[in-house]
Amino acid sequence: MTILAVPSGWRTGAITAVTEWHSPSRMTAAGLRLAVHLFLVVCLWHALYAGTTVSAGLTEAQAVTYAVLAVLIVRPRANDRYSARDTVIQHINFGTIVYWFLRPLPARRYYFFRAAGDQVYGLAWALAGYLVCLAAGVLDPPPSAGAALAFAATFALGQAVTYYLLLLTDQLCFWTIKNSSAVDIMMFTQNLLSGAYAALWFFPGWFQALSAALPFQATINVPLSFYVGRLPLSELPGQLALQGFWVLLLAALTRFLWTRAAGRVVAQGG
Amino acid sequence: MTQMSTLDRLSRPASESAIEVRRLVKTFRTARRSPGVRGALRALIAPELESKTAVDDVSFSVATGELLALLGPNGAGKSTTIKVLTGILTPTSGQATVAGVVPYRERERNARNIGAVFGQRTQLWWDLPARESFRILRDIYGVAPGDYKARMREFDELLELCSFWDTRVRHLSLGQRVRCDLAAALLHDPPVVVLDEPTIGMDVVAKEQVRELLRHQVERRGRTVLLTTHDMTEVERLAERVVLINHGRIVLDGTLTEMRERFGRGWRVHVTLTGPDERPCPPGLTVLERDGARLVLGPTGGADAVPTHQALKRIIERYEVMDIRVEESDLEDVMRAAYRDARQESPA
Amino acid sequence: MRGFLPAWALALRVVGLTFRAQLEYRGEFWMRVALGLAWQTSIIVFATVLLGRFPGMGGWSSDAVLMIAAVRMLGHAFYEVFFGRVGELAVLVQEGRFDAFLLRPLPVYRQVQLSAFPSNALGDLLVGGSLFAWAVWSIELEWAPWQIAYIVAALVGGMLVEAAVFTALSSLHLHFPSAITWSYWTEELMTTFGNYPLKILPGVISGAFTFVVPLAFVAYFPVAVLTGNTAGLGVPVAVAAAAPLIGLAAFAGSRVLWNWSLTRYTGVNG
Repeated sequence: MTILAVPSGWRTGAITAVTEWHSPSRMTAAGLRLAVHLFLVVCLWHALYAGTTVSAGLTEAQAVTYAVLAVLIVRPRANDRYSARDTVIQHINFGTIVYWFLRPLPARRYYFFRAAGDQVYGLAWALAGYLVCLAAGVLDPPPSAGAALAFAATFALGQAVTYYLLLLTDQLCFWTIKNSSAVDIMMFTQNLLSGAYAALWFFPGWFQALSAALPFQATINVPLSFYVGRLPLSELPGQLALQGFWVLLLAALTRFLWTRAAGRVVAQGG
Repeated sequence: MTQMSTLDRLSRPASESAIEVRRLVKTFRTARRSPGVRGALRALIAPELESKTAVDDVSFSVATGELLALLGPNGAGKSTTIKVLTGILTPTSGQATVAGVVPYRERERNARNIGAVFGQRTQLWWDLPARESFRILRDIYGVAPGDYKARMREFDELLELCSFWDTRVRHLSLGQRVRCDLAAALLHDPPVVVLDEPTIGMDVVAKEQVRELLRHQVERRGRTVLLTTHDMTEVERLAERVVLINHGRIVLDGTLTEMRERFGRGWRVHVTLTGPDERPCPPGLTVLERDGARLVLGPTGGADAVPTHQALKRIIERYEVMDIRVEESDLEDVMRAAYRDARQESPA
Repeated sequence: MRGFLPAWALALRVVGLTFRAQLEYRGEFWMRVALGLAWQTSIIVFATVLLGRFPGMGGWSSDAVLMIAAVRMLGHAFYEVFFGRVGELAVLVQEGRFDAFLLRPLPVYRQVQLSAFPSNALGDLLVGGSLFAWAVWSIELEWAPWQIAYIVAALVGGMLVEAAVFTALSSLHLHFPSAITWSYWTEELMTTFGNYPLKILPGVISGAFTFVVPLAFVAYFPVAVLTGNTAGLGVPVAVAAAAPLIGLAAFAGSRVLWNWSLTRYTGVNG
């Protein structure tokens, strides 16, 4: 079983990459959008800092680096599962979700391979974009090796949190058949509270307190704050512990929801 | 008589049958929605539950290498039965085994034994060439490379896949896509195949190709096939045995001939006479319609009271006949009668 | 085929039906309203955070910048009410519902707009309206009759510009379902960059937002004319002042494009 799981997982994880590979126009379009978006964001932040040197403890260089990294992490993630009719909500609406439960690979493991493949694919784009931006001098490298390591550690755990949050929104689809409002709200909350639109440091105190109590900031704001040196290394153990706590909690919750989701598959369609 | 044949089948040893369903019951509980704001609030806090029995004491079995058509009107309980057999649904009571495995207890083991196609729902990846989907499924089911190659060659011979299997699924025609779906379902060589309305919406040629494949799978490969369909031609071409289900209960389990005997309304003879003729009808026959020189006659009493050849002889002896034609009820008529009959037996 | 009034009476009846249909799924309905609210609130939080952190943007007073955001958001809410369905036209096409529209004796574009009740627009309206009231209250204007008339025209014009952009993009949805990602991205661009005086950005970008994606005509130009911040607009003041008319022309043009695209519709479901 475990021997079989490796190749089956590999091929399943590669579905997104292979799909994109088969539609070069879509890949070009995605690359174009990413490049334009990066350019615009860089211009916006430079313009905002035109009359300021330090704001919310961030210098212009730190703010630009943060914004570029956030775009690189968030944007490629929005790859095109939708027009490939391969989102969970579509499978539920079209009734094809039933096949997920007809294969010797458990649905939750199939989902994991697919989603992990998506994340790796998105990160490949992000890495390529990062290297280009670094070479072009658009963003700065981390100020110290320690900051780089702290970023790497919190980023890895942040990706796990991201996986579980996305899984949670997809699992909600089993209960909200009609349309995807819940998913939209989750995506949106995720982007705002994670610090993808702007570093949470810029926000008022009550907003930072709110996001500190939620898992979203663990995905972007925490790792990027370590990267630009806005969070000191002394904060690392605490942040790692918090991220670990969220991973465990979300893992348990989503595991529980999978067992309930299987029961919901039958409720739809003849 | 149906009762007898069911019991007879149940008494067979289990090893002979690929699918075995005993006294299956599945009851769903759904929240009843009352109108108005108060009803909506109540549904949120303390929903009123009502239970609906989709399958009610169903027993049947399918022998290894047999093709069985599961028939019944929409909402009869066919899909629920199939979902139990594929392991998606756990029955309220009763039990089912597929190739010796209880599907809802060992879903994954059962998944290796069955292949399934659900009508217009495709399991192929929409934006990938069909062949990529086959490769993904090969890995998921752990099919050895040699077997995979051999089977793909076989499916290509039977279904002519190679002309379009490098096309992305979204660009395939329905017929092409269902053929790919069948290949995908058979890729891991499952002994049992479950098909829920596989040819729905397909053109005649594509339908014939699919039927040919199914016949081949049953006769040459010895696979057991459970098929649901509303296409009576399909039933006639493929199935020797049918199970007719309505309102969650089995109405008939037998051969097509048995079904015709039970629900067919027998024969009719259309006669055109040389001129108007007021002579009474021969014994054992009755005039159903009379339009000048044209008559429609049927048997009095039961369908088998007078055999057709006897009736023809009596008619020709009695009348001056210009033209004569025998009409036997076709399968659609039989089905219509059977569904209606079942409705009367157990009013919903 | 029918008179003007009966046609709109029918449209209203359909809106009533879609509203009732949405109420069938009450949870979803309120979630959609909440989504509209959350989305707009976050833009306000984001915009006010940046306004507070980086005052004096492009020589504009904070009140005037707030007015840009207010006009854009209320215009956007009107767009969501009357035209929002084009943004996700690909969904209707993919689900096969669009094909049914072609069989009915009603204009297809109108049927698209009537296909769902814009419940998310309720949140947009609420937040857009509040922000607009706040902006009107805080800005120092004498509110002469021409100014009142002009701001009303600007709101309608802003709605029409947005409708023109998404109608034009949706004529691609009729042939390529993946074009929906371009619509999503454009909406993201408009919400990210629509709330500031565009002159703070380099000329290439403000030019692109004037002539490629005519974001400048949504709120920036009219508010500039209204508040007298007409330096460095990149176009003659008369052109900026004509923003509502340009919006109307752009919308008419996009409808011609859409109808032409419709004549070449072949269906995407094969």
